[in-house]
Amino acid sequence: MRKTIILVLSFFCCFCVSAQIKNVTIQASGLTCSMCSNAIFKSLQTLEEVDSITPNIKTSSFIIVFKSGSSINFDRLKKKVENAGFFVARMDVQMAIDTLSLYNDVHIERNGFLFHFVHVTEQTLRNEINFRIIDKGYLTTKESKRFAAYTSMPCYATGLTEACCVHIQQPLGTRIYHATL
Amino acid sequence: MMKFYAFILMQCICLTAYTQELFTFTEPASNMAARTIGFRANSIVMQEHDTKQMNFHFLPEVMIGISKKWMLHAEAFISNRSEKVNFEGASIYGKYRFFSVDEVHSHLRLAAFAKWAKNNSDIHQLAIDLNGHNSGYEMGMVCTKLKNKMALSTTASFLHALDNGSAHPFVYGASYRNVLSYSISVGKLMLPKEYIRYNQTNLNLMLELLGQTNWKSGKTFIDLAPVVQFIFLSKIRADISYRFSLSNDLYRSASNGALVRLEYNFFNAF
Repeated sequence: MRKTIILVLSFFCCFCVSAQIKNVTIQASGLTCSMCSNAIFKSLQTLEEVDSITPNIKTSSFIIVFKSGSSINFDRLKKKVENAGFFVARMDVQMAIDTLSLYNDVHIERNGFLFHFVHVTEQTLRNEINFRIIDKGYLTTKESKRFAAYTSMPCYATGLTEACCVHIQQPLGTRIYHATL
Repeated sequence: MMKFYAFILMQCICLTAYTQELFTFTEPASNMAARTIGFRANSIVMQEHDTKQMNFHFLPEVMIGISKKWMLHAEAFISNRSEKVNFEGASIYGKYRFFSVDEVHSHLRLAAFAKWAKNNSDIHQLAIDLNGHNSGYEMGMVCTKLKNKMALSTTASFLHALDNGSAHPFVYGASYRNVLSYSISVGKLMLPKEYIRYNQTNLNLMLELLGQTNWKSGKTFIDLAPVVQFIFLSKIRADISYRFSLSNDLYRSASNGALVRLEYNFFNAF
């Protein structure tokens, strides 16, 4: 029963309306040819929330702009890349904000998402933030080892809220994205 | 002769940038995208050593990307080798990608595969060929390395031949039913020099070294197959290849010939 409740809450948390996400840039790993890039492009195109995709075949990257008022889920974008037979090497998000105060290991809730920022200095950002998601599956194998050293908190290993996430008003097991600037 | 093979292999390995892994005679460890369906038309012309007769084989093939790790192929065999055009059988092939370490513009992947073929044509050679000659099954592994746009793929598999129905039993004895098959494949993308759009035509050159050794007798054949490959609109593929024998100790009635393959892929087909 507990797992069901957590699953339902995670679902609602991840699918909140996120019009504040301006765009997402994905760089895929494991490909060099245009046929492979096209497979990812076609896979991403099946998402209803996607308004436009600008591919760069040379760098294996895709700039995704979303429809106004649509529901955005980073994990769903990742899954579409993986379904095409490849992996996410990098995912950068451009998000509109009012004011956001950051410091290392801060846990915050913005635009329907839970974020845990790591490897950041204390600062206050206004209007817009550009960050990179560094969860498992959003990095190359080499980078995973490097980023894992940036925090010892257990939520980084699971991608879900754990006992360490004391400032988040969400139940344990809710999806939390780990990010850095 | 071994020095010649070593030289060819070194040349393959030393090819520099821009290599692809969409090989003609072997499959890479990578799978096609999930929910993609591809159609292939394989046309093969081989010349019989003894009679100099030209045989035509037509092998239509459908490929399905089941998921990111599983894909299936189904193939039919049509040939005029028995002096009239016959439907001779079919095969099914499945591949499971179980290991992948990916970086930007590079990967190392491993996959396991299995194939089952049913064929009702007469058995006329010692070598086992599940692509239109023998009934049987095959199990193997493939390893593909892609780095800085250079790909190198190697395959090893075990094949077991069955009777081609009750009318055409495998007559060479039980010891010839089992063979080891192996390959090394490389390729090089010649055009375009720089990727900008999906509608740019790719020109790839590939070289595949293909071998088979009988499990007990040690008899072996080794072939070399240069391939010219075009990819149009990032979804249509055309391969032209000539396969020829370097060593034919494991007897085949026709070892040299040309292959032309046309392929079309439908992404997000289901």
